[in-house]
Amino acid sequence: MSDLDDFKATYFDECSELLNELEEQFAAIEAGERDADRLNAVFRAIHSVKGGAGAFGFSALVGFAHAYETLLDYVRDGRIEMSDDVVNLCIRANDIVADHVKAAQTGDALPADYGMEEKDRFDALARGERDDSDDDEGGDPIDDFDIEFVPVMVNLGGYQPAAETSSGVEADDVFDALPMQVEPGHWEIRFTPHRALYARANDPLLLFRELAVLGDMHVRAVLEEIPALVDFEPFAVYCSWEITLVSPSITEAMIREVFEFVDGDCDIAIAQLGNSIAFDIPAPAPAVAKPAPKPAKLTAESDRADLLALADDEVADLLDFSRDSDVAVVPALTAEKPSFTPEPEAPAITVQDTFDEAPSLSFAELAETIAPSPIPKRAASTAVTPLRAPAPAASSDGEESSSGGNRSVGVQSIRVDLDKVDRVVNMVGELVITQSMLTQQMDETLRARYTELVRGLEVLAQTTRGLQDSVMAIRAQPVKTVFSRLPRLVRELATKTGKKIKLETVGENTEIDKTVIEQLSDPLTHMVRNSADHGIESPETRLARGKPEIGTIRLSAEQAGGNILIIVEDDGGGINRERVLQVARDKGVVAPDVNPTDEQIDQLIFAPGFSTASEVSDISGRGVGMDVVLSNIKKIGGSVHVRSWTGKGTRMTLRLPLTLAVLDVMLVKVGVSPYVVPLSSIVETIQCSRASFERVPSGGQVLQVRGEYVQVIDLAQRFEMVSETEPENRFVVLCEAEGSAKVALIVDDIIGQQQVVIKSLEENFERVEGIAGGTILGDGNVALIVDVQSLKTTIVHKNAA
Amino acid sequence: MTILRVLTVDDSRTILAMLHHTLSNAGFEVLQAEDGKQGLEVLKTEHVDVVITDINMPVMDGIEFIKNVRATGNHQSLPILILTTETSQDKRDQGKAAGGTGWIVKPFDPEKLISVIHRVVH
Repeated sequence: MSDLDDFKATYFDECSELLNELEEQFAAIEAGERDADRLNAVFRAIHSVKGGAGAFGFSALVGFAHAYETLLDYVRDGRIEMSDDVVNLCIRANDIVADHVKAAQTGDALPADYGMEEKDRFDALARGERDDSDDDEGGDPIDDFDIEFVPVMVNLGGYQPAAETSSGVEADDVFDALPMQVEPGHWEIRFTPHRALYARANDPLLLFRELAVLGDMHVRAVLEEIPALVDFEPFAVYCSWEITLVSPSITEAMIREVFEFVDGDCDIAIAQLGNSIAFDIPAPAPAVAKPAPKPAKLTAESDRADLLALADDEVADLLDFSRDSDVAVVPALTAEKPSFTPEPEAPAITVQDTFDEAPSLSFAELAETIAPSPIPKRAASTAVTPLRAPAPAASSDGEESSSGGNRSVGVQSIRVDLDKVDRVVNMVGELVITQSMLTQQMDETLRARYTELVRGLEVLAQTTRGLQDSVMAIRAQPVKTVFSRLPRLVRELATKTGKKIKLETVGENTEIDKTVIEQLSDPLTHMVRNSADHGIESPETRLARGKPEIGTIRLSAEQAGGNILIIVEDDGGGINRERVLQVARDKGVVAPDVNPTDEQIDQLIFAPGFSTASEVSDISGRGVGMDVVLSNIKKIGGSVHVRSWTGKGTRMTLRLPLTLAVLDVMLVKVGVSPYVVPLSSIVETIQCSRASFERVPSGGQVLQVRGEYVQVIDLAQRFEMVSETEPENRFVVLCEAEGSAKVALIVDDIIGQQQVVIKSLEENFERVEGIAGGTILGDGNVALIVDVQSLKTTIVHKNAA
Repeated sequence: MTILRVLTVDDSRTILAMLHHTLSNAGFEVLQAEDGKQGLEVLKTEHVDVVITDINMPVMDGIEFIKNVRATGNHQSLPILILTTETSQDKRDQGKAAGGTGWIVKPFDPEKLISVIHRVVH
């Protein structure tokens, strides 16, 4: 048979590996490494050789390997010393095993006495050992191996149901004392499982199924032992069974064999009755019990269902359940189940394995159905299909619990030094730049000539993007890590100020780059402090203003395009603009003749050294605070915008880049120099010739875009560059600053879109108003990054000056 | 009828191959592991109806494997059959004490193997 040949080929392959392994192990053993690991490995190798040989009927090999294995077993557990003599004998034995394997493979016969000498020496060593040891289990007399290892030829054909063949019954030495019963028999079995039976995953139902194959079977569940509910121990075993089995051809040994695996885990009594004696065990009538139902007749087809129905009815009756109660009772589940909850779902988790074959019913399911349910009560003899009702729910529960477990197991992580990640981030950043440089270098002629190259560059661009996203994801962390520190802060502030404040957080799973997160903590703390200290009013004031006594600070995070918005909102009094303006004027931040808009006044709270608190509080009113927030946020490429509604509250919006490493920008030309404008802030670009500018009395210009007037900033003018471009050939880059306020930047040319790696100006030079940083372009030129937000807000100061 | 999944754990490829052949011929779906540790890994992710495990294995032997399986919350009712050539009662008892459901003696007779599996699994 070719299958057998395949197995043999596998076996001989394996043998050659095992023999190599033996050689290696013994090389080490000879060198003096005689530790347990090596001996175990040697033992396993010989054991495996023997196991396969037994399957193929290589009896000579089995015989020798068995004797050798026994010796090794003795050596392994220290009964025989691993002397040099023994080592040498073993090495010789390895060769003999190899020769046997080879003989088996080629079909050549070895001399009948081949290896006998060595085997005799094994025997002698073992016998020498046996003299001073008792009849220990492991010490099989080596001479016996011929009897023990009668090879079983494997029938590799299709499986024939075991039911048809009683040949599977082994002559079990424990029971073969009983004479074979050939006359028609009537057997009575009392079966009382212990907890251990369930703990080892045996199932009475399966035993009954196997018994039913032997003959005509009746099963009666003995439920009298089940105590009243108050005394019920969830894991105790109360249920036992009485079985009658009628068949002319069965023997006690055959019955015993069914219970082979549960021997010791149950009490079992088997008795043979005469044909004429009816099996009738009087049931003790418990006080609450109705007369015990008649034993249901079990056939191979209906046994499970009937058994269940029987138990269902009987137990329910015995326990006298109220049908409305939703208390479930589980008489006996696995003994080691750690906890018991009286919900009907609970058993499903422990027995999930038994639920997969829907029509089958395990004992645990049986137990489950004891719970009173809206399912109509069934007659004991008719129930077959309705019993499946609990199964689907239970099964899905089981799956849930197991998949839940998998999920937690599935989370795998490694700890990596942040420096390493940052190196990768940097290199990816450079790679992105190089890639965009390459793309930039491809002019139309090259594009037309090298289409393959162009395609390659496109793929490169895509892959680089993906790589960049993946690397960024490594660094990303949920803002939760920052948010989680704030509830305590708010509690402390509330206590100190005597205010009542509750903190709400939204979107705390939004992920941002780790560096951004780290830089976020201080500004956010300041902002929340500011809201609690200056925003939220005292409970009395709030009540007087008709607001809820408890003030709310709402903290939210969300992703908006390439940005993360973090919003701190409070329902306090809002910014006192009069006071802010007053202070600003006093401190010379705003010139007396300038009348800033409400929005501009609100932004003044970010001006350096600005504080409006009448008294310097120990919480947030030292005049350092909001300006620190602003500079911190700017440092990480973000911006802050504040919006206030008098009497209603204040909203501060932090706009942060998703990542610090790479910025999507539009490359523009101002004068002769390249500048970049962050793409995230650009709304649209317009040719100046098509834009409608209007002069305003103050001397400035505004741009009318769809009915909206937008402040115009000529970048050449602003950065003191000389523009040589004709006014109508210049472009307007319409940008959106915080709070949806727009600003129109006039540039000389628009070069294109690309990605840049931000280099800090502050670290390498110094802070420059209106510039967020610098970058090195693909061609090696340096370009400055336009800080739209700061351009817009500095106008106020400029005007003021 | 649902196809039953059997996890076979043995360090011998020959035995694994033979089990695979016998079991798949009998309509089982067969999963394989070469030692107890691998077996535990399989059980973490795969649903299995019955386990057949060798005792003598490297890395993690069958006894440890069974103990570990039984220590896992949702595998307490998973039938585990010990596959062993040990003719002595010794290993069998150890396996049983660790939580083994039953045993199969190598070299196994295919019919006997299947009937034993049906004794412990629905």
